[in-house]
Amino acid sequence: MTLSPAPRPDADDHATDDLTAALAGCAAGDQAALRLILDQEGGRMLGIAQRMLHRRDLAEEAVQDALVQIWRKAQQFRAGEGAPRAWIFAVLRNRCLNILRDGKRLSTLAPDDLTAMQDARLQSVGAGWDRLGDKVALKDCLAVLEPPTRHAILLAYIGGYSHGEIAALQSVPLGTCKSWIRRGLDALRGCLS
Amino acid sequence: MNQDLDTRADAYVLGLLDETALADLEQALADDTAWRAAVTRARDRLLPLDMTAAVVPGAARLWDGIAAQLGRQDAAPAPNIPPSLPPQTPQPANLQTAPRRWLQLGLVASVALCIGTVFGGNWFTAEPVVIAVLMDDKGAATAIVEDFGSENARIRFVNAVSVPAGRQMQVWTLPSAEMGPVSLGLLQTASTEGLHPPALPRPIAGQLYEITLEPEGGSPTGRPTGVILAKGLAALQTGT
Repeated sequence: MTLSPAPRPDADDHATDDLTAALAGCAAGDQAALRLILDQEGGRMLGIAQRMLHRRDLAEEAVQDALVQIWRKAQQFRAGEGAPRAWIFAVLRNRCLNILRDGKRLSTLAPDDLTAMQDARLQSVGAGWDRLGDKVALKDCLAVLEPPTRHAILLAYIGGYSHGEIAALQSVPLGTCKSWIRRGLDALRGCLS
Repeated sequence: MNQDLDTRADAYVLGLLDETALADLEQALADDTAWRAAVTRARDRLLPLDMTAAVVPGAARLWDGIAAQLGRQDAAPAPNIPPSLPPQTPQPANLQTAPRRWLQLGLVASVALCIGTVFGGNWFTAEPVVIAVLMDDKGAATAIVEDFGSENARIRFVNAVSVPAGRQMQVWTLPSAEMGPVSLGLLQTASTEGLHPPALPRPIAGQLYEITLEPEGGSPTGRPTGVILAKGLAALQTGT
């Protein structure tokens, strides 16, 4: 796996313009526009999917399905209403969550595979936090949260963990976990606004 | 700004909402401006976390699989009544009094019969996720596997094979290196047969399929042990 420095999302307006145009192209039925999205964002998409799903084959499946969905839903993206990248990654994250929450899918994994997958997901959550750039406001705002609250939010967003899984990982009752996350997200919004 | 809406949007974006609420909230994105704006804000706020993911090489090779699904989606969906059905069906002189819709039903039925013949009863509405042409060691096509996912697959022989006495053909696929080869079933004869594989990940482009000669009753180890009669790599057919 090749690691490259994470560019700040607000630092590349060109990429945003390109992606906005590409989504409009997809909505108009231009396959070259979808190809551009794959070429420009496919590597990061694989990285996001692999953090949640660990296995390369599942990650590839998720990215492939996500791009087909992006093609079909592209007209739902409205230029100027938020970052095109955030929209594209949201489609991908949904697809990954569907795979994770589909019990039948994961029940086909051997127990060792499943354990390796869970370990890798946990590790990638920590790595994601470490790689969040110091100049990103989100980092400062996450940093002031109580560590278990911050960790719970990262487990959900980066690792795709559910409330129940997070409560189990942190050895707290489900209700406690839910209220940590809710209060943490409220504080995050306040801090970023 | 409505705090409840933002709280719910955060939970939605983190994937923490109850599944029963999801469909309605997805739908609301299309026509509820305030909800849509809250979700957009939540996504943008958390985007820097996505950007911490590594850029993993090799995404470009997914294109063929993606493009195959687009092509299929753009094509007209398989209609229940063939669009080529002529609106003015010519009527034989001796059937002039027969109601036209009976003629049309007859046509539809015969088309359905054809489709049924081609695909077999179970496959009436299904389309394979992948197709693999299995070739022998000289490159001659031996059999075609259509894998429909969802624990359904079918094999059709396109060339004669000889099976020694005491041996039986067994069909395998390799869903992934980690999983190893998985049996799709034993074959009684070299004819068209439905296979009943276990629940497996959805087949993908390039997935290996093969037929081996095993002792009667199947491989004693659960993995291929005998000579490979034919093998081939899957081509993706559909996204559904």
